Amino acid sequence: MKYRLFVLLVVGLNIGVAAYGQRDPDYDKVVVLQTRIDARDLGYTPLDVIPNGESGISSLTVAPNGYLYGATSGKRSHLFVLIPRHGYVQPLGVIPGATAVTHAVAVSDSGDVYIGTSPEGHLLKYTPQDQFHQGIQIGKPLPVTDLGQPVSGESIFALNIDSTPSIISDRKAGVIYGLTSPNAHFFEYAIAGGKFTDLGVVAQRVPVGEKFEKDKMMSRMLVVDQKGIVFASGENGAFYRFDPNLQKLEELSIHAPAVPGREPWTRVDAFLPDPSGVIYGGTSDGYLFRLDPEKLTVTNLGKPLGQYRIDGLVRGPNGKLYGVGGDKDDMARLFSYDPSAGAYEILGFVDVNRRPYYTWQAYVIGAMASDDRGTVYIGEDERISKLYLFYPWP
Amino acid sequence: MLLNRRSFSKGAAAIRRGRLRKAPITVRGLWILGVVVLAFSGVGLSQTVTVQYRFFTGLPQMDGNWAALKAARDGKVYVGLAYHGGGGHLVLYDSKTDKIVDVGDLTRLCGENALDMGPQSKIHAKFGEGKDGRIYFSTHGGLWFDYARFATPEGYPGAHYMVYDPKTGQVKDFGIGPRFEGVNTGAFDPKFNRIYGLTHPRGHFVYYDVATGAKLDQGRIDNFDSICRTLGIDDEGNVYGSFGEGRIFKYDPRVDSIRELSAQLPTRQKGISLGRDYNKSETAWRVVVWEQETRKFYGVEESATILFSFDPYAGPDGEVRRLGQLCIPEMTNNRNVPYATLSLTLGADRKLYYAAAGKEFDYGGSAGLAASHLITYDLRTGKTQDLGEMHVPDGRPVIGTNAADTGPDGTIYLVGAISVEATVGEQNYGGKIGSIPFRLALFIYHPKAD
Repeated sequence: MKYRLFVLLVVGLNIGVAAYGQRDPDYDKVVVLQTRIDARDLGYTPLDVIPNGESGISSLTVAPNGYLYGATSGKRSHLFVLIPRHGYVQPLGVIPGATAVTHAVAVSDSGDVYIGTSPEGHLLKYTPQDQFHQGIQIGKPLPVTDLGQPVSGESIFALNIDSTPSIISDRKAGVIYGLTSPNAHFFEYAIAGGKFTDLGVVAQRVPVGEKFEKDKMMSRMLVVDQKGIVFASGENGAFYRFDPNLQKLEELSIHAPAVPGREPWTRVDAFLPDPSGVIYGGTSDGYLFRLDPEKLTVTNLGKPLGQYRIDGLVRGPNGKLYGVGGDKDDMARLFSYDPSAGAYEILGFVDVNRRPYYTWQAYVIGAMASDDRGTVYIGEDERISKLYLFYPWP
Repeated sequence: MLLNRRSFSKGAAAIRRGRLRKAPITVRGLWILGVVVLAFSGVGLSQTVTVQYRFFTGLPQMDGNWAALKAARDGKVYVGLAYHGGGGHLVLYDSKTDKIVDVGDLTRLCGENALDMGPQSKIHAKFGEGKDGRIYFSTHGGLWFDYARFATPEGYPGAHYMVYDPKTGQVKDFGIGPRFEGVNTGAFDPKFNRIYGLTHPRGHFVYYDVATGAKLDQGRIDNFDSICRTLGIDDEGNVYGSFGEGRIFKYDPRVDSIRELSAQLPTRQKGISLGRDYNKSETAWRVVVWEQETRKFYGVEESATILFSFDPYAGPDGEVRRLGQLCIPEMTNNRNVPYATLSLTLGADRKLYYAAAGKEFDYGGSAGLAASHLITYDLRTGKTQDLGEMHVPDGRPVIGTNAADTGPDGTIYLVGAISVEATVGEQNYGGKIGSIPFRLALFIYHPKAD
């Protein structure tokens, strides 16, 4: 009997030895729950897809009609759309004069798509026309109207749109706000009037640092509150506010959360306006915060992850916020924040495992968006990039 | 008690004669194990080929070797030994004096000892020899903890680019290349004097330019589970690797950019679950070697050990041709062909030498014990020959290998594992496959003239 047991043990060892493979089923416990996430190629593989090296997703926004628009960065920039009813990514064309579009796609109520380009720094307008019935032609130029360059010699670093109705005639159709790089100009573009206005800068100096640190610090996004006031972060992590009624850009005495002493290198990575009127945001140090635009107070909500950066922040269908953290040379993780409980949950690495069909893990996230159906869109920003669809649980 | 062919036979005879219960416990256990191993290997006793072996003196605890083997022009053979959880070692075998030399612990050579960071546990990629005879390589991490420690103070700090100078016996450290990542795959190009690599886990194509000291990152190439394990370099300094669903990319150092070719590897359709699927992709080439006369690469892919040629100069995107299958012949076209090893080298006789595993082989993660075969493919005739199970002179079978190279005199070198008898009170082995302890060894085969 002993010898039979011995044989069975040896047989078991032979069958049961785990391989030295670099991924095993145990890995699934550290990634996002696989029934809640999927990925899309940026087009129809293998040919009609935004090429590798041009596919880093650096802008995502949901249009008023629910369509998701995104722009890529790389050797060339592409605009794409995902119509939720169809569920696939449709490349729309190469954005003229652009190798990067960074949080700089905005859609007006009329459906026009505004794109802020780098390095040329032009504001472009794309008007969708029966795009669903157009075949994908990778490499064809996106038909756009060039609205000009807001600030000479500057590229566009971030864009947002205020579609709040206005009694001022040239602001009735909405106003686009933007930041420029490298000199951190804050500008506006009145859509009806077709006029750019340079409203000042949010950072004067490059913070003292190592020789390789050459950027003036400004937020990667802009946010418009319910009253049409625009917020940004600038030098020393200070918040800036632009009041369109006063046409005044002012530095506030409130700052983005930072470890004391690190303020000069702090910026807001992501803003999220909340239906309650407050604004949530995430910083380059990886802190989540709540900004009250009325009281002008900032509450540090702590760090969801032991990592730098909040690469994106969106609202889910359940009142929770969803975000991704992790720096460029790190491995991005998805988290949630429940404002009612003040609790974080770390949801894991952004990974899709559909073996044997496809599998892909995103390490760097460039943009996030969510729609009113509750889908969270996560855009990967690497040489080879996918669009992730995350479905939060109710 | 060592596991060898004689003991298999004696054990089987003992069982038949009903004498098993009278044998000492260790012997009895091994007889049974031998029978079980044979039953599971699916390979009967067959033709054998004898190879010499040398243990890596003083380093019995080393637990793996992948790709890191170089037979240099001066007769020295360089090996990178892995040690998960600790510092791997660079060793050399001097074929002229028949001595093994431990050059050193990689963590110490990188100046990272006593820092309590993830150690430099491996050289996980091919070495390269410069025009000046120096040996170039990159380092790699060992344990990854499901990447929970990635980019943390206690995590792996990143791979170092390094060079060993045989004239001085010194290693020079060029510093960390990719932060937090190891170099999973690598090659050195003497023409452009660069160390190339693919990183783990993020799959970036990186390189170090020795002349300028520049460290560059060309971005992501693949997902971490399907990063190819060999970069091929042609005679013009172009670098090739596989990615995605059996695709091939080309890096041209003249324009410093990557182009994805339309050439397609002859991989088996995915979806055959062998228990390895979760751990390893089946879409990449495993190893390629450059052959100057035909100006082609020859390689094996990972799904079914399919042998192919890749002519990078046939049209703008090159041409891939399937040449056969280099697995153990009895397994040809079978479902359970073991995962391809990294043990492919071009002999001086223009034969490809490939060490095929009898079972899924990955040192401590192997699926079981089976003897490895040495198989040749003659580029002149297109004929494949199974030289048989590899055994060392005392009869022990070579369990498996994962590196091969050819010396200047035509000697074939391999690194892999053979069984050892565990000694009480000390660990004299690198790991176990099932219950059998194994130790790493350098195997030496002298091809016979046709």
